[in-house]
Amino acid sequence: MIRFEDQAGLRVVTLDRPDKRNALTPDMLCDLYGAFMFRGDAQSAVRAVLLRGEGPVFCSGFDLDLCQDDGPEQQMMRTFLISLSEVVKQMRRSPVPVVLAAHGAAIAGGCALLGGADVVVAERGAKLGYPVVRLGISPAVSAPFLLDAVGPGPARRRLLDPTLFDGAEGARIGLVHELVEERGEVAPRAHEIARDLASKPPLAMKATKKWVLEVAGEAKMEGRAARALDASVSLVAGDEAIERLQGLWKTR
Amino acid sequence: MTDLAKLNIDGPVATLAFNRAEQRNALSIELLDALHVKVDQLAEADGVVVTVITGAGRAFCAGMDLKQVIIDADKGGSGKPDLPRRLLASLGRLTVKIRTLPSVVVAKVNGAAIGGGCGLACVCDAVVTHEDAKLGFPEVDLGLCPAVVAPWLVRKIGAGPARAVLLRGGVMSGGRAGEIGIADVVCPDRDSLDAATDEVVRRYTESGALALTATKNLLNDLDRSRDETIVLRGAELSAGVLATEQAQASLVSRLR
Repeated sequence: MIRFEDQAGLRVVTLDRPDKRNALTPDMLCDLYGAFMFRGDAQSAVRAVLLRGEGPVFCSGFDLDLCQDDGPEQQMMRTFLISLSEVVKQMRRSPVPVVLAAHGAAIAGGCALLGGADVVVAERGAKLGYPVVRLGISPAVSAPFLLDAVGPGPARRRLLDPTLFDGAEGARIGLVHELVEERGEVAPRAHEIARDLASKPPLAMKATKKWVLEVAGEAKMEGRAARALDASVSLVAGDEAIERLQGLWKTR
Repeated sequence: MTDLAKLNIDGPVATLAFNRAEQRNALSIELLDALHVKVDQLAEADGVVVTVITGAGRAFCAGMDLKQVIIDADKGGSGKPDLPRRLLASLGRLTVKIRTLPSVVVAKVNGAAIGGGCGLACVCDAVVTHEDAKLGFPEVDLGLCPAVVAPWLVRKIGAGPARAVLLRGGVMSGGRAGEIGIADVVCPDRDSLDAATDEVVRRYTESGALALTATKNLLNDLDRSRDETIVLRGAELSAGVLATEQAQASLVSRLR
């Protein structure tokens, strides 16, 4: 459900579960992590990555159906949160630029993936956000990456408030870097940007990405991400989260 | 004597109001003392998910009480040279207390939020206002330095925009405050503010209280909101500038 292909210096990684709005499974997160590893020949051949989703939306978040039969320790939800944090960190570690096509919707865990990208393209009406506090889940896991992307004011607003926001608001706060009018324009534009980045001198690109992250404090990111993950994980087996998740099954 | 700060707790929603309407809720030492007491109560209150902070009457909070920051009693001031310093330190400590409340805090900016008043809005987790409200930091126009509230503006809108706002001084409309990120929700007029605030509050009360608190605590941890030192250093700096002849003369001219 994750596929990737390398073509002329560009690695295109696709979330390919369109019938489920690309809802993430632990396997998909594991494969996604792998897609941002560059072995052997790919090490020098891949010069940019495009992350996109098949179907009507980029990604609707975790596949919560998988949590329905979870044990009292909520192992599945823990796995989701840990894997998500690892994937975003891996995307940031990627030595080449990462372009993300957030068409339609990028929600919860799907929106968290934006924190791993260098350039995000979305359409004006795309639905973005972190509505998981409604489920008694803390989106803290995304906080360090969102803070880095948009600064503490907007990050605070968007992580505490479960309301979705549109692509235009995403662009205003700096989460979306290039805004297009229509959903159908997102993929072509993201492709175009990714191809352009792949064509640029690789040493300069690699050095620049690494340096910008470094001056912005990436050395502290590992520790911040670990604290953030703890904050999210510490709640998953609590009464509030379990009751609210069970409420979700009842309404389905 | 009326309560200078009114606290009302209704189930998961607490409302804390500055209650000095005739003085546009200007921050006197007495009002600040009263706010500390109420915020301490809130920190211990069980079951509060959202706290709304607002002002009685037309203003949200007009900033420092002019008569208490003027030192010379013959010119209408307090005659207490240490009062401005105490005021500013008290405001600084209050902002950290509000920031670290376990509930999500919403500033309902019903009218003017000026200087320290705007700082009290910025410290909140979300700011709701209306187009015609006046917000801003005109400190430099009066020869003052907004150092005590600067950390909260930086955390709200980022360092670059904060520098421009604080150095340019003046006040702005609620609409403009929304554009630059001081306000999160801007409704068209004062009449629609209640409904807009209720809507924001409802989103929080419908969410998991523990998830909200855990998220807020983590954010406070990551953006160093618990660090009282920087705010108190700011208060010292503000107090130092405020005590200068230039600033005092400017404040006296405002009083007339």
